[in-house]
Amino acid sequence: MHSKASLALGLGIMIVSAWAVIDALAWPWKAALFPLVIGIPVFCLATAEVLWVLFGSTARSEIMDFQLSTHLPANVTLRRTGLAIGWIVGFFVAVVLLSFPIAVPLFVFLYLKIQGREGWRFAVLFTIAVWAFFHGLFERLLHLPFPAGWIQAWIA
Amino acid sequence: MIDALFEGLLLVLQWKALAFMLLGVVLGFWVGLLPGLGGATTLALMLPFIYTMQPVEAFAFLLGMHAVVATTGDITSVLFGVPGEGTTAATILDGHAMAKKGEAGRALGAALMSSLIGALVGAGALALAIPVVRPLVLTFGSPELFMLAIVGLAFIASLSAQGGRGMLRGFLAGGLGLMFATVGQDPQAGVERYTLGTLYLWGGLDLVPVLVGIFAIPEIIDLAVRGTSIAGDLPPGRLNKGALEGVKDTFRHFWLTIRCSLIGTFVGIMPGLGGAVAQWMAYGHATQSARNAEERKGFGAGDVRGVLGPGAANNSKEGGSLIPTVAFGVPGSTAMAILLGGFFLLGLVPGPDMLTKHLAVTFSMVWTIVLANVVTVAACFLLLNRLATLTTVRGHLLIPVILVLVFIGSYTANNHYGDVLVTLLFGGIGYLMVLGGWPRAPFVLGLVLGRIAENYLYISVARYEAAWLSRPVVLVLIALAIVVICYPLVQARRSGADKDAHA
Repeated sequence: MHSKASLALGLGIMIVSAWAVIDALAWPWKAALFPLVIGIPVFCLATAEVLWVLFGSTARSEIMDFQLSTHLPANVTLRRTGLAIGWIVGFFVAVVLLSFPIAVPLFVFLYLKIQGREGWRFAVLFTIAVWAFFHGLFERLLHLPFPAGWIQAWIA
Repeated sequence: MIDALFEGLLLVLQWKALAFMLLGVVLGFWVGLLPGLGGATTLALMLPFIYTMQPVEAFAFLLGMHAVVATTGDITSVLFGVPGEGTTAATILDGHAMAKKGEAGRALGAALMSSLIGALVGAGALALAIPVVRPLVLTFGSPELFMLAIVGLAFIASLSAQGGRGMLRGFLAGGLGLMFATVGQDPQAGVERYTLGTLYLWGGLDLVPVLVGIFAIPEIIDLAVRGTSIAGDLPPGRLNKGALEGVKDTFRHFWLTIRCSLIGTFVGIMPGLGGAVAQWMAYGHATQSARNAEERKGFGAGDVRGVLGPGAANNSKEGGSLIPTVAFGVPGSTAMAILLGGFFLLGLVPGPDMLTKHLAVTFSMVWTIVLANVVTVAACFLLLNRLATLTTVRGHLLIPVILVLVFIGSYTANNHYGDVLVTLLFGGIGYLMVLGGWPRAPFVLGLVLGRIAENYLYISVARYEAAWLSRPVVLVLIALAIVVICYPLVQARRSGADKDAHA
């Protein structure tokens, strides 16, 4: 799995850096200097990484960073990862469609009920607590502007 | 000078100044805890309230608030793997890994104590350096500052992964960060670069949504996959017993803490490098303290030195960045630029006057940093046990709350949904990086340093052409970069040879 991720990253960086360099060639030197100084070596390094993944060792390099949990079976990990990404993307879609003040309590409640399988009473109380924190701090105290969601704008 | 030092202390201890400082500390405490709500933004929001205050009261309030933000930001980073502040992201790497091993208390104890020592070193540096800092700052022109940025990047890229392959990925991640830093309107010619035709990207990528995405999203996904609490199925009894151990760790690695504090102070003094750089340079130095490649593998998996280094540097940089702000009116960071506005609102002019006529006010700033940090660390230690037990809360209760904070934290950067989208995109990149075994630290440092490095490179080339490369300090820094890159390779080779000899 890690070599597929590395290959995807390496190829992605190759494409992005090639596009960045080609784009920069059309700019005045003042604007192009830094993107070219960085973009060309990055393209070369990304090519080396891709070649290494394709033809070299597939051993994972030791990094000083957080490591994903590996103790679960691959199919369970894959299913749960997909679900987690689904919830994150779903929350973003809800924010865009309904705006934060509605999306926040809706997301918290649905997550607790569906994913957490919590009881009605606990889910409602927990949602109210999170909403009160959100409303009190971000809306009342900090007066953050939350624009209407697409659905509200469409109805209006 | 000694008289002014004591006068400064007495000024801060006046009840009104002390009350404003405590108010600032309380505000800074919560701002630090909440992801995305930045210390600099809050400083700007609070600026209008100082009109009616005396200078000492105003600085006690503003600095009291600002001085503690990094300290409490570490708490969010350690407990949830979400950077409480842009300047506390490096603490996640080892601090959150410790929390997952059931050592949240120890990590918090280490972060808080190193923060306190860092703050004391930074304040001491501010008090001592004022007469001698001028020649140091003047030695560093644009070529030297550009090379300093490159050394910083070489430092973290070469040390954040093992072996040639890891180093390649480290430099690639750093380069990618530098490339993303070029997004937006170019500062020299005004050309729109990589904006994809959108107005949102004209100002470039904001650091907060990127940081929150790249660090928080992979952690949230992993927490959901594990289906447990942050600390897993560890017995709760262990969690809150390590705070004292964390304090002892700080003194066990006392010189490392002091060295990282000095790195933070130095980065703070250099105008334009900013606080986000200090933590990564200190982290790079902390990883260098590993005696062999085997020991270095522990970094990122919960080595307490990876918490001590950034913790100390984060707080010491505040004292450092005040030096050029007070002495020359040259702010060392965004927060200091806002504070400089405070000077003018109060009718004070930074420069020689602050070192002569208003020396007591300058020393009152030193005391504010010291007192605010002592108060915060003491308050945090009282709450530490309760905070550490948050890592035992079931994952499905934490995930929606963390996700709400992540989304709102990134949204507050520009009050734009684009910020949340950026968080998701970089969350995806961060997840792939973790999955593929790529270090994220060089990427973040590249992004932080990109704009600064570009400006300094442009000025160097425009002013000196190729001759900037032959300046003495530049040559020393080039040599340092080469040493930094070669050192881990030599170390790995040596430890390989040792293993062969033992076999």
